[in-house]
Parts: sequence; structure tokens; C-alpha cells
Amino acid sequence: MGGSIEVDGLRKVFQVREQGSGIKDALRYLFRPPTRDVVAVDGISFSIARGERVAFVGPNGAGKSTTIKMLTGILHPTAGEAHVLGLTPWKDRRALAYKLGTVFGQRTQLWYHLPARDTFRLLARIYDQDDAVHERRLGELVEAFALAPLLKKPVRQLSLGERMRCEIVASLLHKPEVLFLDEPTIGLDVTAKATIRDLIRDASVQDGSTVLLTSHDTGDMEHVCDRVIVINHGKLLLDQPVRELRRTYIRQKIVTLLTAEPRIELDLPGVTVRDRAPHRTVFEVDVSATPVERVVKAALELGRLRDLTVEDPPMEEIVKAIYARANP
Amino acid sequence: MSDLQARLTGVRGTLRFLGALVSTNLKASLALRGAFWARVFFMFVNNFIFLVMWWVFFERVDDVRGWKLADTAAVYGVAAGSFGLAVIFGNGVQYLARQIYEGDLDSVLSQPKSVLLSAITSHSEPAGWGDLFSAAVLFAVCGYVTPGLIPLCLVLCASGAILFLSTGVLISSTAFWLGNMQSISRQGFHFLVIFSVYPSTIFRGWLKVFLYSAIPAGFVTFLPVSLLREFSWLKFAAILGAAVVYAGIAVLVFTLGLRRYESGSRFGVRA
Amino acid sequence: MRDAAKYIAVLRLSARETFRARGEVFARSVFMVILLVVFSRLWAAVGEGAGLAGIGPAQFLWYLALTEWVTLGIPLFYLSIEEDVRRGDVAYRLARPVSYVWSKLAEGLGQVLVRLVVLGIVALAVGRYLAGSWPDPRALLCALPLGVLACVVLLLIQVLIGLSVFWLHDGAPAFWMIQKFQFVFGGLFWPLDIYPGWMQSIAAWTPFSAAVYGVGRNALRYEPEVALRTAMILVLWIGILGALVAWAYRRSLRVVEVGGG
Repeated sequence: MGGSIEVDGLRKVFQVREQGSGIKDALRYLFRPPTRDVVAVDGISFSIARGERVAFVGPNGAGKSTTIKMLTGILHPTAGEAHVLGLTPWKDRRALAYKLGTVFGQRTQLWYHLPARDTFRLLARIYDQDDAVHERRLGELVEAFALAPLLKKPVRQLSLGERMRCEIVASLLHKPEVLFLDEPTIGLDVTAKATIRDLIRDASVQDGSTVLLTSHDTGDMEHVCDRVIVINHGKLLLDQPVRELRRTYIRQKIVTLLTAEPRIELDLPGVTVRDRAPHRTVFEVDVSATPVERVVKAALELGRLRDLTVEDPPMEEIVKAIYARANP
Repeated sequence: MSDLQARLTGVRGTLRFLGALVSTNLKASLALRGAFWARVFFMFVNNFIFLVMWWVFFERVDDVRGWKLADTAAVYGVAAGSFGLAVIFGNGVQYLARQIYEGDLDSVLSQPKSVLLSAITSHSEPAGWGDLFSAAVLFAVCGYVTPGLIPLCLVLCASGAILFLSTGVLISSTAFWLGNMQSISRQGFHFLVIFSVYPSTIFRGWLKVFLYSAIPAGFVTFLPVSLLREFSWLKFAAILGAAVVYAGIAVLVFTLGLRRYESGSRFGVRA
Repeated sequence: MRDAAKYIAVLRLSARETFRARGEVFARSVFMVILLVVFSRLWAAVGEGAGLAGIGPAQFLWYLALTEWVTLGIPLFYLSIEEDVRRGDVAYRLARPVSYVWSKLAEGLGQVLVRLVVLGIVALAVGRYLAGSWPDPRALLCALPLGVLACVVLLLIQVLIGLSVFWLHDGAPAFWMIQKFQFVFGGLFWPLDIYPGWMQSIAAWTPFSAAVYGVGRNALRYEPEVALRTAMILVLWIGILGALVAWAYRRSLRVVEVGGG
């Protein structure tokens, strides 16, 4: 019923070759190298409707990228079924490719020494796009992503954030129905991250496209997605709306204060000291009990503030909390 | 009917895609203008120096079983032309083994075009233009090529390029099974060049069989040069046939290997 | 003295690493076998005719075995320096209490020694099989130290090319050029004896006639006094090139300080 991605019992086992060290091992392993099985994805199932924006989160090595690679047809699963837009990715890879957009955050599809415009023109050929259609679509995207001043500069001269904007435009050019983004904000500074998140969300709303993004940054999921799927050790841990996750697990903010006074105390409900050093105090704030602005106000009254940062708890902690809840 | 139409559109799409790839490649190698021309120039000098070595040799030896300096010039012409075309249009083949080993084919795999074509056309070596220029000069000085034979020279260089690339793809594809083959496959690509530029008259017996089978040097240069001296449809057909067969085997082996890449390389574990 | 110990440690580590990463040495061995096979056919064919300068096919083959032994023994070392320069590793290594170039040179020598051993064994075995006879063992004994000295000379040239990346952006063209001079003026494929006189005179002024031909000629005749003279010429070149490397390195450090590497 309008299902965009259907995954059923997907499993992927890698055989990793054991490396010997000496010459003896090298000879012995020449013909029958010993292998060890590594389960990367351990039977996960979920389904995503058209136009949904889903965050696929988990710590490093949880199996996020492997799942995306199976859903784009790059990898064959060891077991299980998956349908993307009604097609089986690893069987209909090329037919499906026309309808998918992919961004692998750590790999570029842009030609390094050429302006991004040239890569875009090549992509039009790769996706069999008519020149008129291509120009129109590129025009829209250039405007939305404010790329006009960057189009003619060789990619090597762009900043990382600018490059990522071009990277995303490259994957949107053929108006994909499903967009896979693997760590799209990795390595970016705070401003660039915010820009990229807005752009991804807007593009998806505009095109009505489905988005599945992996990240181990909580912010990506909160600002782009409506729904979150958490996996760890290849297993599905949690599948719920971002709203709910926020209510149950991201109730905390980490507030770090640098003060002129060597030591300060805050006596507010839901505020606990997480770490302390002279002139530096890290509080854990339960925002359902005390909103962040009250904490800041109280801190200002207490002493002279030198610096202040408010952060989300790291993904690893959220996963740990979910884990603790699931296995009490 | 509609199936045929879809097929034709597919072919047209592939051709336009290849055209775009070639022009993007060209632009990319021209982006660093100084480095581009330096490489072109030095490759030309490089080929010229090899000819000088053979000139020294043939100053002292009249001929090697009937093989003269002119033949060596012609052989170098075909080899340089073929190699030039191969590295201008398909230098990605030199990175193929590493891409396979490191699981770097993801981006081409997520595109709706041929993985092999996209991978080998992803790089262009500017020095190839120096090779093409050398080929033109060598053809001119060897004395076998009359203006009417120029189209034939182009066809021979094209089939030679296909043979070079097929050999490269075959050697690189072993990385699907054997893992890190980077340095060996890179050198292997050059083994074919070595065999192609010596007087063909020195090879006899099993070596000759070897050069028309496992290593297609015979089809890259020896047969083409004898064709330039005296045209024969049979030899011409043999050369083109060899190009088709080697390309077919290369594509087949790569496709078989790709299944292994898909069903589990080490890169998934790294992520 | 303590410095020497450091460089020897680098050399040993690099030799061990080369031995571990066998792919490259293996590929070069295959390369050498192929060349020897091809040339054995060439000299056999030439031998059927009038021959060449009174030198027999077996001698030619052993000559090539020796010149290739030296030529293939040298790794593509300028590339590794070029990479260090590109990544800014040179600046980083300045913080260590050893000189970057000289430890790099020790690293290169470590690679060279492993290659010379492996390629030497391959050359002897394949050469004996193809030529059907051994060369004068005393002459081979002369070639051994000459080969090591020659590799130092060729390695220093590569270090120079590598350092040139500080000024030129791409080391490859310069390397190709010099490599081709090495082929021609070193007499890689056939001895300088068959060259026209004017080319022999040019060759004598390059380091390559001593570094390549000088090693190979031991396969043609046993002349200890010529070998000794070649050794002296090689040492002279090591001095000249070593001074050039030291000078270029000092200049390049200035580039690092100004440009930040």
C-alpha cells in the first residue's frame, strides 16, 4: 500500500580472512585461507512508506551501512527479503538505480579537478536525462542549494560543506524517489551541518521522496527525520517516531559551564553534576523537569560565566539507555 | 516491438553516456594544464629514446631473421597507438584491482550503467596523448604506411587498445578471488607491452603459441605490422576476432567476479 | 656514531617490511624472467647471423641479467618522497632527532638490499638455465659490491627527483626522463661497446655508464682493475650526488618553513 521500502529478515554475514603473520602461515594459507564469520546485519525487518523520512541510527559497526548497501543492490544479503519501490535491489540493481539517489558521506562522486557543473552534466548522461529536463531541474536545485557561485569553481577549491551541498545536488538531479544518505554530515562544522539538514528535509518535502539516512549524530535524526530506527550489533533495537524517542530517551541535555568561580552548585530538579574540574562544570539536565533556559539563568545569577555549551547526549549513550530498557 | 525500441534507447543512452564520460575525462586531464603538457612531452621523448636504442642495435646488426629497424618502428607505432588509446580512454583499468580489493566500486554500482565501463573509463592518463603523437611519427617514418593505410592504422590501434584493456581487466579481476593484486596487476598490464615491441621473428615454438594465446601480444602488434606490409582479409579478421574474444572473456570473468564482490568483500566490515 | 645506529635501525626495519610485502618483489622477479626469456631469443637469433662485436649470446644474456639486477633492484622511491611532501609528512618528521632525507635513504637501502638478494637469486637461476653456462665466478664476485654501490647512486638520484617536488608539482616526468637516460647511457639492453663512439663519450659523463654498464660488463670479461676503477667512479658519484641531496634538502627545508610544508 504505497510501501516504499519493505525489509523482511535481512541478514548479512561476511567472511573475513584471517591474516597469518610469518612465511609459514602465508604458505599454509595460500590455498585454503582460514575464515571467520562476522554477522553484520542479523535479521532485521521494517517497512517505510512513500515520503517518510527515517533515520537509521546506531553506533559504529552496528550494520547501518551494510543495510543501505543491500538496499541499493551493492551487496547481496546472506538471507532475507527486501523490496525497494517494488523491486528487489540485488536482482534489479540497474532498473532500480534510476529511481534511487545515494550519498556516501565519505566517498565523493564529484570530479576533483573540474567544476561541479561538469559532474552534473555527466550524471545527466548516466541517468539518461534530456538536456531540457536536466537544465530545468539543475536550475531549481542550484537555487534551492544556493550553488550558483560554486558551479564554476573546481571541486578541489570548495570547502567540505560546499562540497557536500554539491554532492547532495548530484544525487538529487535525476529526481530520485528514494534517497539514501550514509553519514551526510560527517566532518562538517555546526553551521554547515544545519544547512545540509534543512536542505535534505526541504528537498524531500518538495519531491515527496522517501529518505533513509544513517548517522551517529543525534542532530541529523532530530532535524531531518520523523521516524527513527535504532540498530545495534546488526539487530533492530527500536522503531518509533522521533517525537517519542525524544520524550523517552533524549530528555537530557548536556550543559557545560566555564565560570570565573572555581566551583558552582545548582540546586534545581533534574539537574545533576556529570563531571567537574576547577572552573568547569558539566551538568546533565533533564529538560522535562527543568528547561535549559532556567539552568542558564540560574547559572548567570550564581557567578560570572565565561563560556557555555549545550549539547545532545552522544548516540552511544542513547543506545545504551535503550538497551538497558529493553533488557532490564 | 516496444522491447526493441527500449533496447535501442538503451544503446543510445549508453553511447551518449560514453561520449559524456570521455569529454569529462578530457576536461579533467586538461584542468592541470602544465602537468598535462609535461606528461605528453615526456612520453613522446620516452618512446623516442627506445627507438634510439634500437637504432644503435640495427646499426651493428643488419637484420634479425629479416626483421629491420623499419619493422621495429612499425611495431612501436602500433604498440604506442594502442597503449595511448587504452590509457586515454580506459586508464581506470590500472586502478581496478585496488578498487576491487578495497571495495571502492560502490559508487559505480549505485549507478544505472555498466559497472565495468564506468570503472575503466573513470581515469584518463594524459601521457597517452604523447603515445598517440609518437605513433603518428613512427608510422610516418617506418615507411610502410601510405596515406591510404591511415584508416587501417586507426582500426589496428583501436583493436590493440581493446586487447590491452581486456588483458588489464582479466589480471585485475583476479583480485576478486585473490585479494590484494595491486602491484602485480599494474605490472602485468605492462608485461604485454614488453612482449609486443620485440622483433616477432625471435619467438618460435611454445613462446609463439604463448604470445597468441595467454598474452595476446601477437594480435596487438605482430599480426598488425605484417598486415601493414601486405594486406590480407584473413589476418584482418583474425585481429578483430581476437579483440572480440579477449574482450568477451574479460567481461565474463569480471562479471563472475563481481558476484563475489557483492556476496562479500572485506569492506563491509570496515564500515 | 649513535646517529649511524639510528639509520641502520631504519634500514633493518624497512628491509623487514619489504620482505613482508612480497607482491612487489615477486612482480619484479616475474618481470626479470620475462625480459631474460625475450632477450635470450633475441641473442639466439642474432647469433645465427654474423653475431655482434664478437660477443656470444651467453655473454649478452649475463650482461642483461646484471644490468637488470641493478635496475629492477631500485624501487620507485621518488614516489614515496613525493607522497611525504604532498601530505606534509616532511614537516612533521622534522621534529624527530634524525634527518628526514638520510633516514629516507636508509629506508630505500633497506628495500634495495632485499630486492637485490631476491632478484640476484632469480637472475642466477634463470640466467644459468637460459645461457647454459656460468660466467667467470671471479667476475661475478666483482659485480656484487659494484651493484650495491650502483644502487646507492641510483637511489640518490631518486631522492633528488623526490625533493624536486617541492618546486615542480609532478615528479613523474622528470623521473621518466632520467630513467630513459639511464636505459640509453647505462647500456641497459646491450653494452656500450656496440654504441657509436660519440654516444659512448656522452655516456661516460653520466653516472649511468658506471652504475649500469659498469656492473654489467663483468659478464663480458674479468678485469679486476677496471672493476676497481668503476668502484672509484661510483664512490665519486655518491659524493657528488650526496652533496647535491644535502643542498637540495636544506633548500627544501626553507620551503617548508615559508610555506608550512
